[in-house]
Amino acid sequence: MSANYSKEKLTLVNELIYEIKVKEAMSKKVISSRENVTFREIQLKLKENKISGIPILDKEKNIIGIVSIDDVITAFDKGYVDSKITDYMTRDVITIPQNLSVVSAINRLDKFKVGRLPVTQSLDSKKIVGIITLSDILNRLLVVVQSIAEKVEDKEVRNTQISHDLIKSIEKNPLRFEVKGDDFNSAGSVASIIKKYFRNLGISKEIIRRIAIVCYEAEMNICLHSLGGSIAVEVNNNNAIIYAHDKGPGIPDIELALTPGFTTASEKIRALGFGAGMGLPNIRHYADKFEIKSSLKTGTELKAIINLGVKNEVK
Amino acid sequence: MKLSKLVNKCQLEKIVFCTDCEIENGYCGDLMSDVMAHAEAECIWITIQAHKNSIAVALIKDIKSIVFTNNVTVEKEVIEKAEEEKINLLRTNKDSFTVCGEIYGLMEAETAKD
Repeated sequence: MSANYSKEKLTLVNELIYEIKVKEAMSKKVISSRENVTFREIQLKLKENKISGIPILDKEKNIIGIVSIDDVITAFDKGYVDSKITDYMTRDVITIPQNLSVVSAINRLDKFKVGRLPVTQSLDSKKIVGIITLSDILNRLLVVVQSIAEKVEDKEVRNTQISHDLIKSIEKNPLRFEVKGDDFNSAGSVASIIKKYFRNLGISKEIIRRIAIVCYEAEMNICLHSLGGSIAVEVNNNNAIIYAHDKGPGIPDIELALTPGFTTASEKIRALGFGAGMGLPNIRHYADKFEIKSSLKTGTELKAIINLGVKNEVK
Repeated sequence: MKLSKLVNKCQLEKIVFCTDCEIENGYCGDLMSDVMAHAEAECIWITIQAHKNSIAVALIKDIKSIVFTNNVTVEKEVIEKAEEEKINLLRTNKDSFTVCGEIYGLMEAETAKD
């Protein structure tokens, strides 16, 4: 395994091997030996512990060499298996400091074709604090990936956990806001409040955004084109119902008002970026159900319904 | 692409800079309803409309960064509102066409690199 292994597919793993430090992944329990032993003794120790190499330490736990199973086999082969390891062990040991990220460990294992790296306390220390193999790294990686997966799962559960209490409370007391005519500065604030409120209910972002857009456009319509009115939001049977009422003057031709681009806004309003003739078309587009009634005597009533997409029925 | 990189490369003035978010797409528009209908969440929005309603639109659409072009005046209360809602406000004396071109070019180059 090298650091570039399937780079395109393993971006998370790639990121993680840079983040995880050697000391988090290494085994702290190091099976080691002093140098005054024979290859046969090393072989027994390897067998006992089911490992393939043993770092040789001095009495201060500084590394002075390493003996691998290959070295033992060679000793058998060449007939010095009962000799002390001192003269034969590998003295030039490839180690790794504990504070490096595991990507360096992977590179070193790969580059020097070794199965394990004794871990030193720091770059300029020979003191051994652990040992790391590829399987230590993989184990650690799995633990970290698992914990990330759990967090994502948690988040998902939280996102889909609808607050039934809040929905009940909004059912009993619909939100209602007065909207003044011709008041640009506070316009848009009702939609923001409603958005924040729905966010607390735990409904999906997409649905909240649609509710907010409908509220915003309705609010702007009241503000830009009417003598004032109100916006109310109700939750009923898994639906958000948005009512926008105004006190007049009413829309003479609703079909025309629903045509994208049609506007009666003044030059001043349009210079501010409003009155694009997209308000009602936007509401119709983002609502699941949309009704509008208007009278030149009593004003305009708009009702938009957006399904909350809550799977278990809210009673 | 990180917002900070865009800010540096296009030499945008930082009026409010609260989060160095990742920018993956952008939208340019001065009509609120148009932005409302077409801008994507988390995009960078290029506009000349520097009033409080721009912040409201950004909030509703989950837009985290706005670039005001043509060096428009940004009122104190707009800045305060943006700070409160954690929306990045940037400004430039270039016009929307030029800035869009620059940002588009940078983002294209970034995607090509990937």
